[in-house]
Amino acid sequence: MAEKKNLKSYLVLTKAGIMEAFMFRTSLFLNIIGNLAYMVVMYFLWKAIFASRSETSVNGMTFEDTLVYLSMAGAIFSSLEVFLVWKMGREIQSGEFALHFTKPLDYFFREFFYVAGNVILQTFTTLIPTFIIVGCLTGWKMPLGVNLLFFPVAFFFALLLNYSIDFIVGTMCLYTQSFWGINIVKEVIISVMSGAAVPLAFFPEVFRNVAMYLPFQAIYNLPLQILISRSMTTVDYVKAIGIQAGWFLVLMLIGRLFFRRSSKIITVNGG
Amino acid sequence: MDTGNTKVKRDFFFYPRIYAMIVTQSIKSKMSYRADFLISTFGMIATNLAGFLSFWLIFHTFPSINGWHFSETMFLYSFSLVALSASQIFFDNNWGLRFQLRSGDFVKYCFRPINLFFYFVSEEIDLKGIGQMVFGIVLLVYSWNNLSIPVTAGNILMLLVLLFSASLIMIAMMTAAAATGFWIINSGMVMVFLFKFKEYAAYPMTIFNRAFQLVFSILIPIGFMAFYPSLYFLRPESVSPVTYLTPVAAILFFYAAYKFWMRGARQYSGTGS
Repeated sequence: MAEKKNLKSYLVLTKAGIMEAFMFRTSLFLNIIGNLAYMVVMYFLWKAIFASRSETSVNGMTFEDTLVYLSMAGAIFSSLEVFLVWKMGREIQSGEFALHFTKPLDYFFREFFYVAGNVILQTFTTLIPTFIIVGCLTGWKMPLGVNLLFFPVAFFFALLLNYSIDFIVGTMCLYTQSFWGINIVKEVIISVMSGAAVPLAFFPEVFRNVAMYLPFQAIYNLPLQILISRSMTTVDYVKAIGIQAGWFLVLMLIGRLFFRRSSKIITVNGG
Repeated sequence: MDTGNTKVKRDFFFYPRIYAMIVTQSIKSKMSYRADFLISTFGMIATNLAGFLSFWLIFHTFPSINGWHFSETMFLYSFSLVALSASQIFFDNNWGLRFQLRSGDFVKYCFRPINLFFYFVSEEIDLKGIGQMVFGIVLLVYSWNNLSIPVTAGNILMLLVLLFSASLIMIAMMTAAAATGFWIINSGMVMVFLFKFKEYAAYPMTIFNRAFQLVFSILIPIGFMAFYPSLYFLRPESVSPVTYLTPVAAILFFYAAYKFWMRGARQYSGTGS
C-alpha cells in the first residue's frame, strides 16, 4: 500500500496550493477585473480589425469566434501562470534549492501537485467566469455539446504541457543562475507559436504548418479549437487530446532526464 | 565615502553628481553578472520582436485597423517602445518597492539628506531596457523613412519633445501604480494590470468608444504614449488639440504621481522591528 500513501502525501501539497492561492483573495479579485478589462479592449480592437474585411468569416473564424478564442486564451494563460521558473530560479540563486534533494518525494511530481492546487482555484475564479462572460457577450454562438466535456480534459493536458516546459526551463536556470531572461524568451515563444497572441487561423500557411509540428499549439490552439470549432467530430476531439498526451510524454521525459543529469553538476552557494 | 564635516556644495550639479555616483555603483554590480545581462537583453528584444511579429501576422490577413495601415501601426508601436524605455531603464526600482516596504529595507531611504524619490529611483538602473530602446529607435527610423515623413528641424524637435512627454507619462503611470504599495499589499497586481495596457498603446484610439477614449486619456493615459503624439506626424491634416496638450499632460501626470508617491513615503511607518 506504499503507493496509496504516496498519492496521499502528494494530495496534501495540492491542498496547500489551494490554501495558498486563497490567501491572495484580493489578487484573485483584481485578476477577474483585469481579465474583464482586457476582454473589453479586445472586443473593440478585433471589431475594428474585422471591419477592414467585407466577409464575416475570415479563414473560418468569425468575430465572435475570435473574441471567444482570445479571451479564453488569456484566461488559460492566467490560470496556468504558476511562476515555476521564478520559484526554481530564486531557489537556485539563494541555495535553498539543495533542500529538495533531502526530501523523499519526487521533485517533478511534488511541485506539480502543489502547482495543481493553485491552478484548480484559478480555474474557478478565472477560466469559468471568463467563459460565462464571453459566452454572454457573443450570444453563445460556439457549439455547446460534447465538446464542453472534452475541453476540461484538454485544459488539464494544457496544464501538464505548460508545467513540463516550465520544468525544463527552470532546470536550465541551474546553468545560467538567472531566470528573468530565459523565462521571458520562453513566454514569447509560447505566446506566438501557440496561437495565444494571434489565432493560428490568421497565420500565413508556412508559419501555421511550422506551428502545427511544435508542442506549443497543444497548450492553446488545440483546447481552444475544441471549444469553438464547428467542424470537429468526436474522433477529432480524441485525436487532439492524443496529440497533447503524446507531447506531454515527450516533454516530461526530456524534463526528467535533463533534471537528473543537471542535478549532478549543481553548484550551490555555500553557507 | 568621507562626508564627515565637509559640507557638500548644493549647486546646480549636486543631484546630477550624486546620480552619477550611485548609478556607477549599480552598473558595476550588474556587470558582475554578464551572462544575465546578455540573456535579459536578448529576452527584451525577443519580446519586442514578438510584438512586431503579432502585428505582421494580423496585417497579413487584415488590410487595416480603422483606416490605419501596417507601416503607420509600426510607427505607433516603435514610438511606444521608445517612450517605454525611460521608465524601464531609469525607474525600474519601482518594481521592487513592494518588497522593500514589506521587508522594511525602505527605511534606509528616509535617513538621507536628499530627495527621497530621487534617491530611491537612482539606486537601480536597468541596462536591458537599452536593448528595447535601440530596437524601438531602429524601427521608428525605419517607419519614419517608410512613410516618407519630411526630415525637418521642426519635425525632429517636435519628435523629441513628444517622445520625452510620452516617456514622462509612462513613468508617472508606473510610479503611481508602485506608490499604491504604501497602502495595499497587492501593489504588484496593480502594476501588472496597468503595465499590460501598454500593449494597446500602439493601436489607434479611435477604435474605442467615447467612454474608453476618456479612460485611456485620463485614468490609464496610454493614448498619450503613442497615438495622440503621433497624429502630428501621421495625420497632420487632422491633428487633435490633444496632441499639443501632450507635454502639459505629461508634466501634470508626473507631478501628481510624484506627490502621490511622496505622500505614501511620508506616512510609511516601517515594519515595526
